[in-house]
Amino acid sequence: MKNINKETLKMAANKLMFDMSEEQYNHLLNEFDVIVSQMNLIGKIEGVDNATPMTFPFDVTSTKLREDVATTPLDRDVALRNAKDVVDGQIRLPRVVK
Amino acid sequence: MEYMNKSLTQIHNALIKGEVTPLELVKEAIEKAKKDDNNAFEYICEKEALEAVKKLDESNKDSLLWGVPVVIKDNYSTKDIPTTASSNILNGYVPVFSAEAVIRLEKAGAIVIAKTTMDELAMGGSGTTGHLGVTYNPWDKSKTRIVGGSSCGSAAAMASGIVPIALGSDTGDSVRKPASYAALVGFKPTWGRISRFGLFPFATSLDHVGYFSRNVYDSAYLLNVLAGHDDKDFSSSFKEVNDYTSKINEGVINKRIAVIKGIIDSIKDKTVLASFDESINYLKKQGATVDVVEIDINLLKSIFPTYVIISCAEATSNNANLDGIKFGNRIEGESFEEVMMNTRTNGFSPLIKRRFVIGSFSLMRENQDELFVRAQKCRRMIVDAFNKVFEKYDAIYCPASPSIAPLIKGSSDTLSDEYLIADNYMAFGNMGGYPSITLPIGFENNMPFGANLTCKPFDEANLFSIANEIEKGTGLKDLVAKEGR
Repeated sequence: MKNINKETLKMAANKLMFDMSEEQYNHLLNEFDVIVSQMNLIGKIEGVDNATPMTFPFDVTSTKLREDVATTPLDRDVALRNAKDVVDGQIRLPRVVK
Repeated sequence: MEYMNKSLTQIHNALIKGEVTPLELVKEAIEKAKKDDNNAFEYICEKEALEAVKKLDESNKDSLLWGVPVVIKDNYSTKDIPTTASSNILNGYVPVFSAEAVIRLEKAGAIVIAKTTMDELAMGGSGTTGHLGVTYNPWDKSKTRIVGGSSCGSAAAMASGIVPIALGSDTGDSVRKPASYAALVGFKPTWGRISRFGLFPFATSLDHVGYFSRNVYDSAYLLNVLAGHDDKDFSSSFKEVNDYTSKINEGVINKRIAVIKGIIDSIKDKTVLASFDESINYLKKQGATVDVVEIDINLLKSIFPTYVIISCAEATSNNANLDGIKFGNRIEGESFEEVMMNTRTNGFSPLIKRRFVIGSFSLMRENQDELFVRAQKCRRMIVDAFNKVFEKYDAIYCPASPSIAPLIKGSSDTLSDEYLIADNYMAFGNMGGYPSITLPIGFENNMPFGANLTCKPFDEANLFSIANEIEKGTGLKDLVAKEGR
């Protein structure tokens, strides 16, 4: 496992496109102490590493296909209603080529 | 005459007899909501509710929800009504469609009168982390205790007698824990039983639509309204929908109920344990078999860390769309990356960011085996252990919280080892997708506490019949804080 230090956590935060204050990174380091010790205990549970990972509560299999019915999609103006900066039916962002 | 502090059946009877009209009910609920001093509301939909009353379909009068005001947790999309999930990143966001659960409530005649406060993005359990601040427990007049979360505003609105039904959501215990602290019935169904379309996803493999009611019958009735397949939700079940009220008076003769030893042993509060024992004795007298059953204590201790890793990891991808560009509270920058960075840095609270980092770190290639995948493996072992209990028993029954609602001072969503089992075990219900209900069983210093009952997947009818028997034994139903005790 990667070493848990402020730099690693900052990298993880930046990958998610945000930053935190120094105080919060320190707070998080303390929380990681708790998490890692709890996860180490889990690692000691007999048979845990041989178990099949569970991704959903139970299998949901469906072979049903929706009826092929034509519907009206979301109107463009409605879809853009919540964007802060819209020009000519498109969302405007800062210029890429300066 | 007040009606909003009554049960659905009581309100329905008053409507049918002509003692009150839907318009009067809506006005009563809105007036009460405006006077709320527990921080229960994000938005009161006065104009929209008064319009909706005018459009009520008279042919739907048999529905117990016809003309009845309800509130909705602020992580459900509600068309043309501001929805923030109590996060600054969504300030100003107005959905262009409604969640399926909201649509089904409205089709049954319910009138949405408000959106309720919550822990930000449903990622907390205290009701203290939303962008509007702490939501208080209406049972505590000194405003020193939490009502629990993340469905805090819905619980507070119910306990204050503002509405008789409130929609919440439950990823770990976010309906069932506040129900315990607020003398309410809190229910979440089998995973897939109620469509999640339009519910903001937090952890897709654990998220459930849930709700509060004043008694077990109302809870069963509401499932009749909300259950059923929805093409818009890929995890929605095709299983047929039963009448969940039909077996409610079946009783508990020959029913087998398991009490989990490790959970009971982790609770120290004598009043909670005494009331719980009393309810067990009542169940035995009514013909149920109640056994104390063991589950490996290490597995019980692993429920919370397993939940934290899985839910935080799933949350990172589910919330990747909150970048301020297509919707949300955009903060400008020199490039589109900077726009995203500024929006997310300013829009999320410190707690949410810490949770996301936990998720991101757990998903890194070098860490996956020891964190995320190990948590998924442990989830399998936890669910297998509970499934084994369900091979021999109809239900698992334990106190829903180790005590009455904790004081705000000292409550936090910081991770710790304290009360590792008793305060967090109910997440097994989300891991296994089991139907699960909390109902009040007692009081300590005029503050309520509840017990939790969980059954096999799709065994809701059985769940409601056993819960109804427990309710008969305690006599604790239709409780509202304002009336005091």
